[in-house]
Amino acid sequence: MMAISSPKGSGVGSPKAPTLPLPSPKAPPGYPDLYGKRREISRLHMLEREISFLEEELKSSEGFQPASRCCKEIDDFVMAKADPLLPTKKKKSRSSRFWKWLCCTPCSTLCSCLCCCCCCEPRCCDGCSKHLSLPSCSCCQHLRQCSCCKCVTPKSNCCRGSNSGCCKGSCGCQNCCIPPSCKCLSCCSCKCSCSCTCPTCPKLPQSCCCIKSCWSPCCCC
Amino acid sequence: MSVAELKERHLAATETLNNLKQRLNQTRRSLLDTDVAGYARSQGKSAVTFGPTDLVCCRTLQGHTGKVYSLDWTSEKTRIVSASQDGRLIVWNALTRQKIHAIKLPCAWVMTCAFSPTGQSIACGGLDNACSIFNLNSTTDKDGNLPVTRMLSGHKGYISSCQYVPDEDTHLITGSGDQTCVLWDITTGLKTSVFGGEFQSGHTADVLSVSINGSNSRIFASGSCDATARLWDTRVASRAVRAFHGHEGDVNSVKFFPDGNRFGTGSEDGTCRLFDIRTGHQLQVYSQKHSDDKTHPVTSIAFSISGRLLFAGYTNGDCYVWDTLLAKVVLNLGSLQDSHEDRVTCLGLAADGSALCTGSWDTNLKIWAFGGHRRVI
Repeated sequence: MMAISSPKGSGVGSPKAPTLPLPSPKAPPGYPDLYGKRREISRLHMLEREISFLEEELKSSEGFQPASRCCKEIDDFVMAKADPLLPTKKKKSRSSRFWKWLCCTPCSTLCSCLCCCCCCEPRCCDGCSKHLSLPSCSCCQHLRQCSCCKCVTPKSNCCRGSNSGCCKGSCGCQNCCIPPSCKCLSCCSCKCSCSCTCPTCPKLPQSCCCIKSCWSPCCCC
Repeated sequence: MSVAELKERHLAATETLNNLKQRLNQTRRSLLDTDVAGYARSQGKSAVTFGPTDLVCCRTLQGHTGKVYSLDWTSEKTRIVSASQDGRLIVWNALTRQKIHAIKLPCAWVMTCAFSPTGQSIACGGLDNACSIFNLNSTTDKDGNLPVTRMLSGHKGYISSCQYVPDEDTHLITGSGDQTCVLWDITTGLKTSVFGGEFQSGHTADVLSVSINGSNSRIFASGSCDATARLWDTRVASRAVRAFHGHEGDVNSVKFFPDGNRFGTGSEDGTCRLFDIRTGHQLQVYSQKHSDDKTHPVTSIAFSISGRLLFAGYTNGDCYVWDTLLAKVVLNLGSLQDSHEDRVTCLGLAADGSALCTGSWDTNLKIWAFGGHRRVI
């Protein structure tokens, strides 16, 4: 509280108001700092434990091999192991096809379209236009029966029916076409947009992506 | 003993600790007679060279509507699970790009996912501090959602990383923002062991990544915001086998080298490093500035099946392919056709090493495989 003083020039002899002392908080009580002590003991124990770990490690480091030995081990291991992602020269054989399932080789020159799956027989795709190019084809489930625009396996999830069943671009046809009530529209756009007209469900907007299959009566995104 | 005496002992112990660390560092430096690249050059090795169509993007998996944060392959190489900020896990057929499952998550903030060794279950976790297990053979509920089979609760922080113990569908290791890793028994939903934490020697900041040794599943490595990686033995949870120093920032990703005696790390400091688990040696640093002459944090790493290639995803969308032996960047997937348009957040190699899958903030996953020809010699 500020001392109240009379204004200047108020006149000689005017009485001064009493000045109160400045507040001074009391000193904290002299309780023992138990929390601080326990915390310090805990920290000390952790330090002493770290010291013993380091002493152990220092002792064991006397037997460590030099880095060059580790590097040799790495070198030997790497050079001995075949790697399908390395561009090394290897004998091409049927048995090594297991790594080829994703890479592409052109079909026979007589074919008008390109097949994305090396696992496929170099068979011409029926009904495919020349506009189809990598990586437009979806490999059907059954190996060796890969065709671009129609699925051989009866239970496959490729789009059926009209030309819209031909999947262009990078979109795979995602379970969009389930008869009898669904039509696969633009499976060929980047987002698989299909609309299933269900009796009880409202129509879905075009941009709705059918993440789930249309097995259930309503298509839900 | 008074608090003042305790503080004195604390100071003395700190000094002893620092002296020991110095002596250990000196011993290590004396053993670092070369690095991997120096040794490879001395052997006359030359770097891997890729032709323009050798490693190509063969598939783009589109369907997520949010950033992709994590992915994992099954052991039979045809399926991939991905986790996204859109709150879904998607199980893909990598060959056909079809979505086999789309699992709506109870908590949308997912950060990690993993396939079980048999491919029957998926684990995921994130900001809900719990790891959810989904059995892919379960019947969906009335809304068509796959139910959570088991919820592994107990972490006090977010789940940053999870991996099933190889060949065991019943055990899983998680890494967490609470600075611990936990080995879980999925059958009971209980913790088997806790690695690190308040009363044990372990990480002193968030754990960001875990990797289990494929050659010895009792051993795993973890990477943390404390800039270290640590090696753990699941039989000894009270302390790490060894701590690996060297990085100058968060260790965002750890992955074991295929031989099981080394592991790689990727860090916020923009470098990847290779460490030896038996000696603790830092065997190689993989560091190169990007096209903008800056360093960018590494988000994720993976080794090819032979270990010759190290794939590293960066925050600027680059995905460097390092020649592990020569420590040179031999390819940048980020500069190729059909590359990602944003940060690469996760990488994973198919079990047979024939393909690499990358996930990105651009909401897509991409599969890269060898597209070149191999000729008979």
